[in-house]
Amino acid sequence: MPVDRFQGFVFNPADLSEDVDLDLDRRREILFVHGHLADWTHWQVLGIPWNAPSDRAREAYREKVKVFHPDRYPGQRLGTYRARLEQIFRRLTEARDVLANDAARAAYAKQSAPPEEFARAEVRRLDDAERSRERRARLARTNPLVARAGRVHDLVERGREHMAAGRFTQAVNDFSTALAIDPDVGEAKALAQEAKKRANAEKAKDLWDKAHAAEAVNNVELALEMATAAAAADPGNPRYAVLAARLALRRGALGDARGQAEAAVRAAPAHGPAHEVLGEVLAEQGDKAGARRALERALELDPALDGARERLKRLRWSFLG
Amino acid sequence: MSEIEPFVGIDLGTTNSVVATVIDGVPRVIVNRVGQILTPSVVAVSKNGKKLVGTIAKRQAITNAENTVYAAKRLIGRRWGAKEVEDARRVLPYQLVPGPEGHDVRVVLGGRTFAIPEVSAMVLAELKADAEAFFGRRVTKAVITVPAYFNDGQRQATKDAGRIAGFEVLRIINEPTSAALAYGFGKQMEKKVVVFDLGGGTFDISVLDIGKSVYDVVAVGGDTYLGGEDFDRRIMDWLTFSFAKENQGIDLRQDTMALQRLRDSAEKAKIELSSVQSAAIHLPFLAAAGEGKAALHLAKQLARDKLEELTKDLVERCIQVTERTLRDAGIRAAQVGEVLLVGGMTRMPRVQQAVKQFFGREPSRGVHPEEVVALGAAIQAHALLYPQKDREVLLLDVTPQNLGIMVVGGYFATIIPKNTTVPTSQTHVFTTVQDQQTSVRIAVLQGASEKAIENELLGEFILDGIRPARRGEVEIEVAFDISADGIVGVSARDVDTGQRQSITVTATSGLTENELRRILDENLDELLERKQSGEFERLRERALQMIGEIESLVPQVSEALTRSHYGKDALQKAEGVVGRARAAIASQDLQQMATNDEQLDRTVQLFKGLAGGGTVPGGEG
Repeated sequence: MPVDRFQGFVFNPADLSEDVDLDLDRRREILFVHGHLADWTHWQVLGIPWNAPSDRAREAYREKVKVFHPDRYPGQRLGTYRARLEQIFRRLTEARDVLANDAARAAYAKQSAPPEEFARAEVRRLDDAERSRERRARLARTNPLVARAGRVHDLVERGREHMAAGRFTQAVNDFSTALAIDPDVGEAKALAQEAKKRANAEKAKDLWDKAHAAEAVNNVELALEMATAAAAADPGNPRYAVLAARLALRRGALGDARGQAEAAVRAAPAHGPAHEVLGEVLAEQGDKAGARRALERALELDPALDGARERLKRLRWSFLG
Repeated sequence: MSEIEPFVGIDLGTTNSVVATVIDGVPRVIVNRVGQILTPSVVAVSKNGKKLVGTIAKRQAITNAENTVYAAKRLIGRRWGAKEVEDARRVLPYQLVPGPEGHDVRVVLGGRTFAIPEVSAMVLAELKADAEAFFGRRVTKAVITVPAYFNDGQRQATKDAGRIAGFEVLRIINEPTSAALAYGFGKQMEKKVVVFDLGGGTFDISVLDIGKSVYDVVAVGGDTYLGGEDFDRRIMDWLTFSFAKENQGIDLRQDTMALQRLRDSAEKAKIELSSVQSAAIHLPFLAAAGEGKAALHLAKQLARDKLEELTKDLVERCIQVTERTLRDAGIRAAQVGEVLLVGGMTRMPRVQQAVKQFFGREPSRGVHPEEVVALGAAIQAHALLYPQKDREVLLLDVTPQNLGIMVVGGYFATIIPKNTTVPTSQTHVFTTVQDQQTSVRIAVLQGASEKAIENELLGEFILDGIRPARRGEVEIEVAFDISADGIVGVSARDVDTGQRQSITVTATSGLTENELRRILDENLDELLERKQSGEFERLRERALQMIGEIESLVPQVSEALTRSHYGKDALQKAEGVVGRARAAIASQDLQQMATNDEQLDRTVQLFKGLAGGGTVPGGEG
């Protein structure tokens, strides 16, 4: 035992001369450890290097308690040393409880790391994060199952992005592809439906604009074609069918006009212009009673339809004219 | 051996107790005065008021069931009104009453009430007497074992029992730990050991990490109400039920004597079934069938399969507790290096099989399940008394249950969690909640439940004499410590002034210090009395023997005397001595008897001399 082991530690002479059955060396050792209980780390208390494995901690504990457990001094007078031994023993146990438990040990190691160790650990942690990303990517390339799941995930993500940006057609494409790879992705199914609806609405609106443009230059035939396509793309919106019906009427295609007008009424029974155009078509077809009913309904729903009022007036007074 | 004071290790069991010691470094069991290793933990007061302990007490249990206490260990340290006590009251033939404060349990024996530690003390005193007979001198130092799962109250009460019996209790240690100590003693090993201890009344499981002769307990678990007696009761229930079915509903449970016979035969059958496949239970004249009819007999055959079926759930409970404890210890069954079976119930093949199945290994057969605990206790006693160079031993045990206090809302706040290595301590700071508050009441509990009420109340501590101040200004630091015995201590001090606060303990399940002292005094008186009466008996017998001898010699002597120079004088003197001796015996005057003893002796010597040789030796005056 080197003499300078307790270097820098001030012993109280009264403690060293207490009348107890302990030799001087043992007294010094007890006083030294006891004096350091507050400032030593768990590692230091057990006398093992920082971050030593849990087995080392357990082993060191066993060695230490043999020296510091009061039961090891049977029949001996310990005086004030008994309390010191007990305190040391408790501290040893506390250190062991932390360092012999893998989870607690890891946390404590981080907390009690010397500065250079702390820096090294930080670097290692960052490296670890990078490495795990790489590992995931590598896994995705090599494992078909993981690769497939990854691809579906990517497609759905991209579809969502398209949808958010209003590119519904592209979104429909991505969702459909995802469903083709894995038909069981419920999320993709719902998203695909939504995207399709939105894409069709977009398309219908586009066609409607074109139809109006064509009508403006009196190209009724092209306008009718566009309007019919718009109504087919978005059957839920009556204004496309109404436009198609009006244009068909202008072209004299009464059958087509009636079909579109009825479809418009079916899609939106509370839409005034749909009833108006149906009334017009029926009037042209000679069903005056039907026409009157439809026009009255149109006015009832939308009193601002002056055209309908005019037409109805004419119908009512036709026997005079 | 002569220079060291004798000491013992005692396994104070529910059904049987064992005492052991260490001689020349070798642990060995002390055989009792009846010549047996096991002393039944049975205490009785016979019809004529005599206290009986052990085998004799057990033997008369059938005819004197109301005054025979067995399984006192199930009640020790329990509070009156506890579920366990209520359950026990329903099945035990002897009468239980609450103690004077209404907290602890007393038993009525021969018209007197005894605290449970007093009953256990009688068993311990019997073992002490056995040890003293073995050593031929006084024995006072002992280590006593308790189930690992015993709480503070039960440990304290066991320690009290030791004191009442006249022991200086060196340490209370856990039975499984003790068993592991006996198993590992003298061996070099580094492994994890599981001790599976299924005794008469309790089930205990401990996980130890043994290395470098340090026995480090990692976790303990158990059930203080699961043991051999529960197995016996299943057999008894089966017997009474089938008996009632065959005999028009006669309920044997109403008859204490029949019940005691059933209990004995159930235990016997259970033990037999550990070695054979089927056991016969034959109890003739068990019950009266009614007026004018022949008495009823019970004759049943119990197969091992049937017993296993009856007790299936009990074995399963053991395995569940084992599983939980291993989880607490943080180890897997496969990491266990050895499994020790302790307690008589582990002789049951089904139990061994279940253990083997769970651990996937054959349990150790190297230890004697009934002796091993007492041997371990003796080893620990030795280690606590005398330093050993070659066979050092250090036991590090843990606290079996969470220790905590009741907090607002009736919740339980853990202060020292279970499986903490003892001795240990922990402090908790309390503040006053009212202006000028001078006392704080703290309920200390032990248990596993979040709700305070579901845990065992160790006691209520009242901190008083707090200096008056505004609320929250006074901080009281209360230190809870658990000794190596597993016994809880509480102390408190004012954080600011550093002054110690007085603590009053109320509502404990044990004996108060005053009561303990009174019992010790009473025991001392009784001991003195018994000593005196023993002395009296001895002197009386001697005196009567000598009187007989004198009287038988009179004819010969008188003939010899007529021929000698002594004359009739000597005869008269002898008559006087005999007369005084008779009077002293009649009045039970011990001192007078002692003086007479000497005179009688001299007279006998003289008469013998006269009758024999005819010559007179010495000068009789």
